[in-house]
Amino acid sequence: MVNEGDLALRMIGINKQFPGVLANDNINFELKAGEVHGLLGENGAGKTTLMNVLYGLHQPDSGEIYINGQKAEIASPKDANDLGIGMVHQHFMLVDNLTALENVVLGIPPERPPLLDLEPARARFEELVEEYDLGLDPNTPVWQLPVGDQQWLEIIKILFRETRILILDEPTAVLAPSQAMHLFRSVRRFAEEGNAIIFISHKLEEMKEVADWVTVLRDGHVVDTVDAGTAQPSQLAQMMVGRSVFLDRRERPPMDSKNEVLVIDQLNCLNDRGTPALRNLSLKVHTGEIVGVAGVDGNGQRELAECISGLRQPTSGIIHISDQLVSNVIRDTTLLGFIPEDRRKTGLVLGFTVAENLTLKTFGKTPYTKRGIIQWGLIREHANALIKDYDIRTPHSMVTTHHLSGGNQQRVVVARELSGEPALLVTCQPTRGLDIGSVEAVHKVLLRERNRGAAVLFISTELPEVMALSDRIIVMYKGEIMGELEAESADVNLIGELMLGHREASKVAVGGAG
Amino acid sequence: MEDSLGFINDLLAASIRLAAPLMLAGAGGLFTERVGIFNIGIEGTMLAGAMAAIWGSLVTGNILMATLIAMLIGVLFSVLHAYLTITRRADQIVAGAAINLFALGATNLLNTPLYASFKYRPRVDLYPILAPESLQEIPILGPILFAQPVIVWVAFVLPFILAWVLYRTTWGLNVRAVGDHPQAVATAGISVIRLKYTGVIISGLSAGLGGAALAMADLGLFAPNMTAGRGFAVLAAFVVGKWNPIYVAAACIMFGAADAFQLRAQTLGFAIPYQVFVMLPYLLTIAALAGLVGRTVAPKTIGKLYDPETI
Amino acid sequence: MKERKNVFLPIIGELVLTGGRPILAVVLALTVGAFLIIAYGKNPVEAYAAMLEGAVGSRAAIANTGVRTAPLLLGGLAVAFGFKAGLLNVGVEGQIYAGGAAAAAIGITPLPVPSWLHVTLAVIAGFIGGVLWGVIPTLLKAYRGISEIVITLMLNYVGIHFASLLIHEPSPLAKIDAFYPQSPNILPSARLPVLIKGTSLHAGLIIGLILAVIIHLALRYTPFGFRTRMTGQNPEAARYAGINVKKQIIIVLLLSAGLGGLVGTGEVLGLKWALYDFFAVGLGYDGIAVALMANSNPLAVILTAFFFGALRAGAGKMQVAVGIETPISQVVQALAVLFVIAIGFGERVRRTRLERGQEPEQEAVAHGG
Repeated sequence: MVNEGDLALRMIGINKQFPGVLANDNINFELKAGEVHGLLGENGAGKTTLMNVLYGLHQPDSGEIYINGQKAEIASPKDANDLGIGMVHQHFMLVDNLTALENVVLGIPPERPPLLDLEPARARFEELVEEYDLGLDPNTPVWQLPVGDQQWLEIIKILFRETRILILDEPTAVLAPSQAMHLFRSVRRFAEEGNAIIFISHKLEEMKEVADWVTVLRDGHVVDTVDAGTAQPSQLAQMMVGRSVFLDRRERPPMDSKNEVLVIDQLNCLNDRGTPALRNLSLKVHTGEIVGVAGVDGNGQRELAECISGLRQPTSGIIHISDQLVSNVIRDTTLLGFIPEDRRKTGLVLGFTVAENLTLKTFGKTPYTKRGIIQWGLIREHANALIKDYDIRTPHSMVTTHHLSGGNQQRVVVARELSGEPALLVTCQPTRGLDIGSVEAVHKVLLRERNRGAAVLFISTELPEVMALSDRIIVMYKGEIMGELEAESADVNLIGELMLGHREASKVAVGGAG
Repeated sequence: MEDSLGFINDLLAASIRLAAPLMLAGAGGLFTERVGIFNIGIEGTMLAGAMAAIWGSLVTGNILMATLIAMLIGVLFSVLHAYLTITRRADQIVAGAAINLFALGATNLLNTPLYASFKYRPRVDLYPILAPESLQEIPILGPILFAQPVIVWVAFVLPFILAWVLYRTTWGLNVRAVGDHPQAVATAGISVIRLKYTGVIISGLSAGLGGAALAMADLGLFAPNMTAGRGFAVLAAFVVGKWNPIYVAAACIMFGAADAFQLRAQTLGFAIPYQVFVMLPYLLTIAALAGLVGRTVAPKTIGKLYDPETI
Repeated sequence: MKERKNVFLPIIGELVLTGGRPILAVVLALTVGAFLIIAYGKNPVEAYAAMLEGAVGSRAAIANTGVRTAPLLLGGLAVAFGFKAGLLNVGVEGQIYAGGAAAAAIGITPLPVPSWLHVTLAVIAGFIGGVLWGVIPTLLKAYRGISEIVITLMLNYVGIHFASLLIHEPSPLAKIDAFYPQSPNILPSARLPVLIKGTSLHAGLIIGLILAVIIHLALRYTPFGFRTRMTGQNPEAARYAGINVKKQIIIVLLLSAGLGGLVGTGEVLGLKWALYDFFAVGLGYDGIAVALMANSNPLAVILTAFFFGALRAGAGKMQVAVGIETPISQVVQALAVLFVIAIGFGERVRRTRLERGQEPEQEAVAHGG
């Protein structure tokens, strides 16, 4: 019997190390029954890792977990379920060809094994549907359900089990505002029944709307836990972005940035799930400037980069690069250099040699192909020149790229994309997973390109580097540009608020942009 | 009038008899695709099962033992396939093709030693026909059901049992889920690997049983490559039968009928070449695949590698 | 993300592994074969020696090996070429018959052209026959998003029986009053030249060797080959580099199907000199085995095709000399493939999928190595 105010959950000294990154650094976390607790933080802050530890998907390196005062060993999701912990993931865990009811029942031990008796479950399903005022028919196959209903189904799955601690990971990503409100009401009701909820989100309004307390994580450790009702947006933003790792702002010559290179006009496009990723986005980038795009991951940055490079078709809007209309995938390296987010998946063919990767876009054109035959000698020459220029550590150009370190692999991508001296350079998370030395190298290169006169669009979730490198900073939230600031004088906390979707801050920022 | 009735009875009986091995292999065989694994090695497994049945009968003289031995061989082959594709993560088609090659070679090689101690190849005992003469005489029902050896009765019953398992048990629900979305099953706390292995093994048991039926329903002998592509016809039945044990069985009966028809067409001199009837089931399957409007019904992750790391 | 200080060792290591694994598999298979021979009460050394003699021990033996190598070489190339683009051509079985039938159609028709042209036309017809057989699953896949595996498997059987239909009277392609169903004999002007007088060794082998070299050169030295290899290794990166992956896949699949057609062409125009029922059972799947053992390298395919051809040719001598029946070669071949898969070679064969309206996604990760 759990009373209001009892500690439903205590996580003490949780440490979790992944190769190259300390995801959770001695985290202490407490949750009372009847409480809705928000978990706030940038990408990489450690929120999802912490919850995965709680749900048994990861094992902590050290630390203890107490559920209702009892020490708990959570080795798998099954253990977590048995302890009354339920989690709704960011990606749906629903089986399309089964009905809503069947999905809910999946994994629940039957009353009379081995028989699958849906009837008792059906009654409870309809009870819950009634109670939470949903429009769900238990017999509908999931593939016919709209996305919002699928989200609800995930939640019903949880409610079906004796869940006392509910973890929601970015639950409103696919919900319309009215649906989100409906969700919040239900979350509150669930809490009133004596259960506890952990709500991961980067949206400020949501935190204030539904949470009692908010814990802010940054770089793997807890910054503070505050009362959600009284917390100021600027306060939360400051906690979230802070000044833990401060990069010096880079020296740069002033550039005559009059010419527009990249012109985006009222761009709209959909993401892979079919929901809007970009909303009426307009943007201009000029010669000799670095425009940094800040924002929490998943707010349309990737889709923006894909639209600019021609990889994704927008639903409306126009993009010009150097006055040329973007309609197909751009192969012209004098026009666009594109450094994608995941170099291993999209930037490189790891099984190819370094020389081949350096000519991934130009192999078919003169002079690398003459009369239909690839000129390997010339390609090797070109590769050797690039290896020298960009300091790529490899014994020779015919080494298979997957033998190179992450930093050197990135240098290959950079070398290839910049070798044509493009008018526009777009980079997505270019320093992800790199060691300090390689990060330095990438930053140097970006600045060099800017000084050469290229227009640079620098998309990154690492706020310190955005602030250090950019001339101008725009902040993206839910597919829109929340605000634009001069980087020189930018207030990091203001940026933090914009990243959280704080509309008030937006007005300040747009008004203040030069 | 007599003649045509006799012809129809004969055709019906033959259709069912020819369909029985397919029905048996198909009823359990679809479980492998349901859990997301292509098992094109069913052909080789049936062949190995047929030889194992004959060998078992020659050695033990007991038809039930022979059947069980055939099923055991089916398990062994399917465990190999499961190991290669699930644990060693090999390509499923390649693994299945390798198993077929092996089964063909091994059965060809063992064909002579199998009968080595006999001067003339003996026919082993066939599955008995259990129904009394009187019932066998009944038109239509007689040839379809009563005049058939007991293994055909098993072929009729098995799909219903397996359908019950698939749709009415929690384990069956898990099977239906894992082929479509293994991560959903994993987060529900169920072992995906175990489900996949079990699905493949059930297909092996079925294929072995189908091989036994092929050898001992009506022939009593082993002949090299006697499956002659039936294992692939079973794969076609999965598609036409939408991976539902009862519809798959119905598809198998249709294929059996086509087979019976083409055999008779060869001797009866029809205007339509008999090969058309042989090709019909395969063409039908292609048409079914091409003509499916809306969603495909196949288990979504069939053929794909399952990576337990991705959640 | 470790810094690899010495990069040479892994390269050499990679080569050793790539070459070593099939060799190890073969050794293991031959070892198991030896145990089987012992189980028969025979001496494995004697048996394998006889096999070796039957494979390469005389002019007749070499010719025999060559005859068996030709279809394995062409089939292996068909599958290997597809593998390079991340595709598994499992329809060679059917393409063989389609190609053979097409070649036969030209081969039995008298044409007012010199012999070399007649043969060439027949060979081209065979290639086209294979391509046509590959068109249906390819288009259904590209434009309707249907899995090509099952359709291709079905078409295999349709191909076999359709060819059968063509050689039974009253088809125009059927020989009248024949002893068993066959097409009329291929006219002497359309037959592939014999390489060694007095044997069955025909120019199909030369065609295979030439094609192996051409394919190797094309993959290495042409933009088309570069695109193909990119598509096979990382279709996403290929897309990002601006390649039309869908188009690339269609072209490669069709060419692969054409090569499959050449298998049948070689058998019909070179060996059998007529189209017969079921003249090439299993050759399509043998092609998969050959390609797999060669890690899809066209030049290595020559070696693996030769190895399997030698196995088959030698088995006859082994039967005569020691009494072990010829299917032992099939068993050894199958064991080699199973071992190579178990060691982890065909592990994670890349297969590119074309979903309806979407871009191709990989099914699994790196090939071999």
